[in-house]
Amino acid sequence: MNTSSDRWLAYFMILPVVAAVLAFVIGPTWDVATLSLTQVVMGQERGFGTLNNFRALAADPMFALVLKNTAIWILGGTILCVMTGLAVGTFLAIDSKMTTGLRALILLPWVLPDVVTAMAWKWMLHGQVGVIGSTLQSAGLTEQQISFLGDPDLVMWTLVVVLIWRKMPLVALILCAAIRSVPNEQIEASRMDGANAFERFRFVVIPNIAFSLTAVTVISMIWITAEFALPWIMTGGGPANTSQIMSTYIYQQSFEFFSWGVASAMSVVNLVMLMVIVALYLYVNRKSWATGAAS
Amino acid sequence: MGSVTLNNIRKSYGAVEVLHGIDLQVEDGEFTVLVGPSGCGKSTLLRAIAGLETISDGEISLDGQVINHLPPKRRDIAMVFQNYALYPHMTVAKNMGFSLRLAKESKAEIDRKVQAAADILDLAPLLERYPKQLSGGQRQRVAMGRAIVRDPEVFLFDEPLSNLDAKLRVQMRSEIKELHQRLRTTTVYVTHDQIEAMTMADKIVVMRGGHVEQTGSPLELYDRPVNVFVAGFIGSPAMNFIEAVVQGGNVLTSDGAMLGPAPESLSDGARVTAGIRPEDIILADSGAEAKVGLIEPTGAETQLTLRMQGASMVMTTRDRITLSPGDAVHIRVAEGKLRLFDIQSEAAIR
Repeated sequence: MNTSSDRWLAYFMILPVVAAVLAFVIGPTWDVATLSLTQVVMGQERGFGTLNNFRALAADPMFALVLKNTAIWILGGTILCVMTGLAVGTFLAIDSKMTTGLRALILLPWVLPDVVTAMAWKWMLHGQVGVIGSTLQSAGLTEQQISFLGDPDLVMWTLVVVLIWRKMPLVALILCAAIRSVPNEQIEASRMDGANAFERFRFVVIPNIAFSLTAVTVISMIWITAEFALPWIMTGGGPANTSQIMSTYIYQQSFEFFSWGVASAMSVVNLVMLMVIVALYLYVNRKSWATGAAS
Repeated sequence: MGSVTLNNIRKSYGAVEVLHGIDLQVEDGEFTVLVGPSGCGKSTLLRAIAGLETISDGEISLDGQVINHLPPKRRDIAMVFQNYALYPHMTVAKNMGFSLRLAKESKAEIDRKVQAAADILDLAPLLERYPKQLSGGQRQRVAMGRAIVRDPEVFLFDEPLSNLDAKLRVQMRSEIKELHQRLRTTTVYVTHDQIEAMTMADKIVVMRGGHVEQTGSPLELYDRPVNVFVAGFIGSPAMNFIEAVVQGGNVLTSDGAMLGPAPESLSDGARVTAGIRPEDIILADSGAEAKVGLIEPTGAETQLTLRMQGASMVMTTRDRITLSPGDAVHIRVAEGKLRLFDIQSEAAIR
């Protein structure tokens, strides 16, 4: 009697969470999944049970370009973000008055809204009136003013740079905190063992922060995959689709071309990619979850 | 060879000086213990020898060669830390071989030296374990192994036993001492525990407030402390101190009980601090009167707290006694065991 009422109470207590997950995560996912298997013409559903959307996607010459751009965006963005974050975090971990101030200041790019960031950078990188291009030109470093967002060869990497500017601060702060929590005695022991600064970093600091490092890598990968406003506002996928990435292309397909079916198929592909990333993360960290986090 | 000479070592943090000119000579192969209360500067001094702490003034030399300005790795000194400071991501073998790996020794050579050190410390079956899989005592041994494989001129120990439980501490204490007798490597050992200092040291350095109070062998410090601080710090239970006065060539308590003869240098009416070790108090038929307070038998000996007029003293005896709290007794001080200190300067009067 008692145990069964306890059980009902337990179910009742988790009901809100289950309902929320069903309504806002499982529901839409199910919707998108079924939609990706439905023929849609001009916004009208015309029959379920077809792989035509995926075939159309595979045949779309744009999709290959989008995949390549997305790879630059996610892999390039994540790797550079974590590397610069690690470098900046290492610097911030040094004890001094300057770094104490910088630790607070560095969060500024992170607290700005996406739209503000995107607009500000769009102006600074503008082909005619952008302050960055004109500074480079007047300094004599370039012959003509570079249009960072208008050059098909530069645009993707320019976006990545802005992305790093925006996402790196939190990575740097998390890694800074991790580095500062490395036991000082271990650092001193390695000094006694004869390690130079690089060896201390490589053999003592990095292994000690490995848990934070993988966590922050996966988290920024997920952030970056989900990032939409920044590239959409800055380039809208242009010029000539050379900066079209998964999130912007899905948006364009669904809300500008109303190809719900193809857009859903792409969302499914995107979801599978993300799940692979997370699975990889859990696999890599399977030991640390059990032991590292506790110690 | 590994003799360490410290010459007028000073260390300041900003305006605060924590070491006020330390002079110390550690002979080759000697086991020297730095002991003192928290904040006396003993750890700072050890870290200065290690090179982890810079010094503001003075000279540290190893075998006559000044090493102040050398980084830790070029000093040929190994250190065992209080919290072991093992690398958690490395196995015991990797932990011990890390310094050799950094020194770019061959793998075979590293394996050989690690194995040799592991044999000395009974760590051979644990070489492939990680630090978190070891007990406190085993971790402590790995930390020592890490120092041994380098075969340094000097070992430094920074309160290595303070994280162990009482039983293990006693065991590790004798292990460290045996290890030293085997390897004969010069050792500087920091502790705040005077029993550790007494049992392990060839030479004890008692420090207080950034000064060296006294240097000497354990028994020298016990028998001939130079001042009240050293007398009170060395020995457990601690030495009893009571105010006394010289009268007619004798030292008397304030209520006139006789403690012992006064040295000739003291004139009548001189006020002194009398120091008496607990085991030097003897129950007698006559002498100073006291009341038994606490009786604490420990088996081999019994500790008594005695209440005298205006003072309380602790005595220990190996005799089985039949006293109970409240009993009145007479006590006297064993012949030649009374220590006298100047009441102002607290320096010993000989």
